[in-house]
Amino acid sequence: MIRAHIMPLTVLLPLVGAYFILLVGSKHRSLARNVALVTTGATFAMVCFITYLVSNQGTLFYHLGGWAPPLGIELQADPITAFLLLTFAGVSFFVILFAYDILPDEINSKVITRYYALYLVLLGALLGIVLSNDFFNMYVFLEISSIAAAALVAVNGDKLAMEASIKYLVMSTLGSGTVLMGIAGLYMVTGYLNLDYLAGALPQAYASYPLTVLMTLAMLTVGIAVKAALFPLHVWLPDAHGSAPTSSSAILSGLVVKVYIAVLLKLLYRVFPLDFLTTLPLQGSLLVMATLGIFIGSIMAIRQKDIKKMLAYSTVAQIGYVFLGIGLFSEKAMTGAILHVFNHAVMKSMLFLSVGLLIKYSGKRTIADLAGLGRVYPIPMIAFSVGALSMVGIPPLSGFISKWYLGLGALEANHLPFLLVLLLSSLLNGFYYMPIVIAGFFKKETVEIQTHKVPMGAQISLIVLIGATFFFGLFSNIVVDFLAPTVQGLFEVFGGGI
Amino acid sequence: MDNLFYAMAFIIFLTGFWIMLSHANLIKKIIGMNIMESAIFLFLVAIGYVKDGNAPIIAETNPGITYVNPLPSALILTGIVVSVSVTAFALGLVVRLYQHYGTVDVDEITRMRSEEL
Repeated sequence: MIRAHIMPLTVLLPLVGAYFILLVGSKHRSLARNVALVTTGATFAMVCFITYLVSNQGTLFYHLGGWAPPLGIELQADPITAFLLLTFAGVSFFVILFAYDILPDEINSKVITRYYALYLVLLGALLGIVLSNDFFNMYVFLEISSIAAAALVAVNGDKLAMEASIKYLVMSTLGSGTVLMGIAGLYMVTGYLNLDYLAGALPQAYASYPLTVLMTLAMLTVGIAVKAALFPLHVWLPDAHGSAPTSSSAILSGLVVKVYIAVLLKLLYRVFPLDFLTTLPLQGSLLVMATLGIFIGSIMAIRQKDIKKMLAYSTVAQIGYVFLGIGLFSEKAMTGAILHVFNHAVMKSMLFLSVGLLIKYSGKRTIADLAGLGRVYPIPMIAFSVGALSMVGIPPLSGFISKWYLGLGALEANHLPFLLVLLLSSLLNGFYYMPIVIAGFFKKETVEIQTHKVPMGAQISLIVLIGATFFFGLFSNIVVDFLAPTVQGLFEVFGGGI
Repeated sequence: MDNLFYAMAFIIFLTGFWIMLSHANLIKKIIGMNIMESAIFLFLVAIGYVKDGNAPIIAETNPGITYVNPLPSALILTGIVVSVSVTAFALGLVVRLYQHYGTVDVDEITRMRSEEL
């Protein structure tokens, strides 16, 4: 039975876990974190099972309530979806494992059960967005994720986080309002909300209402770009990600921004025919914004004194890479973009988690105060260094692989200037990451450090993330082979790209 | 005249959008958000409307009757729930911010924050 209904169950499980936590959590506070750990772990296991099914049987479909599309809501899991699901469920499991002993110190004990509940709701929404093959269903999950994400920023009730949270909420409501207007427009011209049916009906709709279709495409893209923090719509991100609690920052920067990219991927590659997109100025504007985002994000990151703000600006730059990969419209670049979604999720959550530990133990959050901490806390500092090196793109770490594929994609699509962009930005990344690594191990400490024992869960989770960075750098061909047929399919359907 | 609702929906949408972006007062921002969302709901209802259509309750006695499209209305119900919850959460945040800063003006808050640092 589980096998047949695996997809909706995977979305439901975290949501049910959240309700359960709220039900029992107020009485038994220590139960909440165990429930959260078990639920995320079980979700991860189920996602692994979905991936196994997808790799054996090909794309999975599920019709909610037995209603076939276009009337009913459809869930769909193809290899790309499965890979994204693995990313989301896996990273959020390791973030919860990391936070097992640490969160109670960081979050007010009155709200900690609610924190776990929100976390699980967010996870459920993320999985729902990725799995859904229906635009309105996707919108509902988008809104759930934006409320939960904004709440995860504000949960502690301190002033800065609260202000960042409302800014985040306002911007992401603007974004989702625009997206909903776009969805309404698509429904108006085609009469469908299901992605596959939309794709079938759009060419004819475009022939009859070209302006409306163009406008809906513009609204959807801009709305998603706001939520995914594409430059220059990223203004909310540094504050929100910089002032949130550690585990929130990790999941917000690592996962929540990415899920909107998954929506954009579905929109651009599955719904709108590619030969139609190439006649629009869309590609040019995506590439320009991505490039500006990469550079300005990196430059702003160099200027930061606060380490978490620096990581947040670095996210703006890394999102630029993903948009670059999407905007190049080539197979290799697409592979690079999807790989980078995963690699950045792992690297950035690792960076945020290790930095969170170091901040907690040293009590300081400026970059200069991280000096010398590597000798006292080797594991967090090694995790930080591996993440930093991977961000810069040093082989054999996973960050190198995604940049390699983006570079190949730039060659394939004959956009040579973007090779230069990749090289220059790697240099810039080196500029702000390397001094911290060097100072962390070789300089004298600037602050008085008491030694604390790093909790077991945090150590395991950091070591697994480090391992993942190496593994997916060395054996990236596993993932690439898994994704290749689908990526090729995306381009074949619409006449083989450019 | 057929497109009057669509045009109005867009005008209202842009009004809400503009309010959200241009006003520093957080309460006004939230009002703008609601105006924007109402415009989307108006747009969706207008899509589903069929001229001289009846409520979509299928009755066997009168087969030739035209019905309005019920799907957009169903979507709006969900949309309204979403919009209410976002509004509630945003207002809750504003209340807490007001307790901290004594103002709901974003510019004021930014100024006070930069003075603190």
